[in-house]
Formats: sequence, C-alpha cells, structure tokens
Amino acid sequence: MANIASKRIKREFKEIMKSEEVAGGAIRLQLVNDNWTELKGEIAGPSDTPYEGGTFVLEIKVPETYPFNPPKIRFVTKIWHPNVSSVTGAICLDILKDQWAAALTLRTVLLSLQALLSAAEPNDPQDAVVAKQFRENPHLFNLTARHWTNVYAGGPNAIWEFNQKVQRLLDMGIDEHQARVALSTYDWELERATEQLFS
Amino acid sequence: MAETSEARPSASAPGGDAGGEEDKHDERMLECNICLDTARDAVVSMCGHLFCWPCLHQWLETRPSRQVCPVCKAAISRDKVIPLYGRGNTKQEDPRNKVPPRPAGQRTEPENNSGFPGFGFGEGFHMSFGIGAFPFGVFTSTFNFGDPRPSAAPRGTAQYEEEQFLSKIFLWVAILFVLWLIFA
Ligand SMILES: [Zn+2]
Ligand SMILES: [Zn+2]
Repeated sequence: MANIASKRIKREFKEIMKSEEVAGGAIRLQLVNDNWTELKGEIAGPSDTPYEGGTFVLEIKVPETYPFNPPKIRFVTKIWHPNVSSVTGAICLDILKDQWAAALTLRTVLLSLQALLSAAEPNDPQDAVVAKQFRENPHLFNLTARHWTNVYAGGPNAIWEFNQKVQRLLDMGIDEHQARVALSTYDWELERATEQLFS
Repeated sequence: MAETSEARPSASAPGGDAGGEEDKHDERMLECNICLDTARDAVVSMCGHLFCWPCLHQWLETRPSRQVCPVCKAAISRDKVIPLYGRGNTKQEDPRNKVPPRPAGQRTEPENNSGFPGFGFGEGFHMSFGIGAFPFGVFTSTFNFGDPRPSAAPRGTAQYEEEQFLSKIFLWVAILFVLWLIFA
C-alpha cells in the first residue's frame, strides 16, 4: 500500500478516536486488517428519522491512491433508503464519487453518510424502487424504513403488521430477506409480492 | 451535506500541560490538508489553504478536468499557488520525488523605488494594509515609506530645502494614492 495512504489512515484513525462524535456514540471506526486497507465503520441512525435507534455497519476499503481517490464504502447492514441499494448496500453519494476532495476524511465521510440518512436525495437515487416509494408514498416509505431498521439494525420500532406478512411468506418456504424485499417493493401487498416471488 | 468543520480538542486534561496543547494546535495549523503531516515544500492556494507541493501536485494530476481546492473546492491551478519559504529551508526538494519543482515565487519589484532619491521624511511615514480579498492575512502588502534614508544634500543648502519640499509633495502623493486605493 502506498505510503501516504496508510500513513494518513493511521493519523485519521487516531484523530477519530479522540473525536466528540466517537465519544458521543454517533460514529465508530474499527480496523479490519493490519495493513490499514480495510476498516469497519458504524453510524447511529439519526433521531427523528426512520433509522433512529439503529446501528448501521459500513464496509470501508481504502484504495492505494487514497486520499487522491475516495474510499470505497458500502452498507453492510441492510437499509431501506433511496440512495442505498437495498440489494448490495452500494451508496450513491456525490462525495464518494466525483465530488470527492482530498481533504475529506473518514470522519467527515461518516458524518456525511449520517446526514444522508437524515436527508435523502431521491432525485439522485441508487435504488429506483425505494426512491419511487419515497416520492409517491412517503408514509409507507417511513414504515418500511423503520421496519428494516428494526429487523437489520436493531432499531426499537417493530411493525407488527409487516412482521406478520413476512411470516406468511416464510411459511410458504420463501427466504426471509427475499420475502421482505418483495413485500417492501410491492407496498406490502401480500398478493402482488407472492405473485412476483412465484412467477 | 454534513458539517465538515474540524473538531478540535477543546480543553486540556486537568493537570495537563496547557502549553503542550497549544503547541500541538500551532503545529496543526501548518499541516498539509492532504497528507495531514507537517507541510513540506509548502504552497498555499489563493483560497488560503496549505499543502505540500507534492501532495497538491498529485491531486491536480489525479483530476485534470476538475481543478479544485481539496478543502473548499474553489478553483485552483498550479500557476496560482504561492510557495512558502520558511527560514533556513532553502534546499531543493528530494529528487526522488518525480514531482516538478514548486512553481517559483513571483516577486514583483516595488514601484517608485529607485526613481526618487531623498525620499526620507523626518518623522517616518509608515503604513501597511492588507488586500481584503485574501483571507487569513497571508498576503499583506506593506508599503513602507518610513525607511530613514540619508539625504543626499547637507542641511541648510538650497538643495536640501528643495528636497524637503519635494518629499512633502511625495508625502501628499502617497496619501492621495492610498486614499485612491481605499476608495476607488
Ligand atoms: Zn502533504
Ligand atoms: Zn481552498
């Protein structure tokens, strides 16, 4: 790994550990391997959002050309958000692409991702299905995001009705996550979801 | 977009060495915004941000089509960065770096310098002002009219009187020039 990349990550790591966000539990950062090329990030779901109370794990890969190119980051924790793929966890955020600037740090990136959870940008979506629901049925979007936060990120708000519907599909022998994706995609209409799963 | 201001450790630990904290803070002010290390072959952008020249050069090379300051995203170019020369740091940079040498400092000769002998005022007329467009007071121009220079002519002679008269005129010209700079 290029010297500047690992040197900078080490320095960032030290600084982030002393930051008030880490002290306040808003963000966390852990090393995954010894050569500083992969880290595990965690952000707390912001309050007054469907992600409140959840903890979202991020995979952070530091390219050899860091900080001249952005770190590669994706959500490991499954999340229902217009700018995050519900399938792969890939993120659509400008600073992780063409708006990257070398003075940005893992700390500022984690905080930007947290801000993205507070303010989605549906006009620049990563997941078209989620973005459509976000625009056309915000209430249902909120419930769905809350449900996903509860199931995958340890959020406190279980949505009883949704759990029931997932269970119905589980009873039919369908994989749990697959069932949840289908139901979320078809606005929790059991019939349409079932139809799609068996087609 | 998230708030990206740098959080700094506020108070030093109880019983800690406050002076040490301050030193650290001072050091951070001279850190390159790219490698986060003390800037070597330092250059500063027009927007006032400090970098190592090799770091900034690599940043500009990485994105040739989008030349922006890595900190504030203001437009930036290799011709518009200014090298900072500290004391006792005149060595050329390490030849192992395949980075072109820093752009040279542009030294503009001050005007009205050599053309006016006998430009000394008795009391000394000294003023300086910053150009408002540059933050952090990095680029402060100093117009110094106060260097006491020996008069060419001995006191009491006609030539001396003439010089005194001339220097008064120059004083007023200088004041008018400054007023013009401020109000124009
Ligand atoms: Zn540097
Ligand atoms: Zn700048």
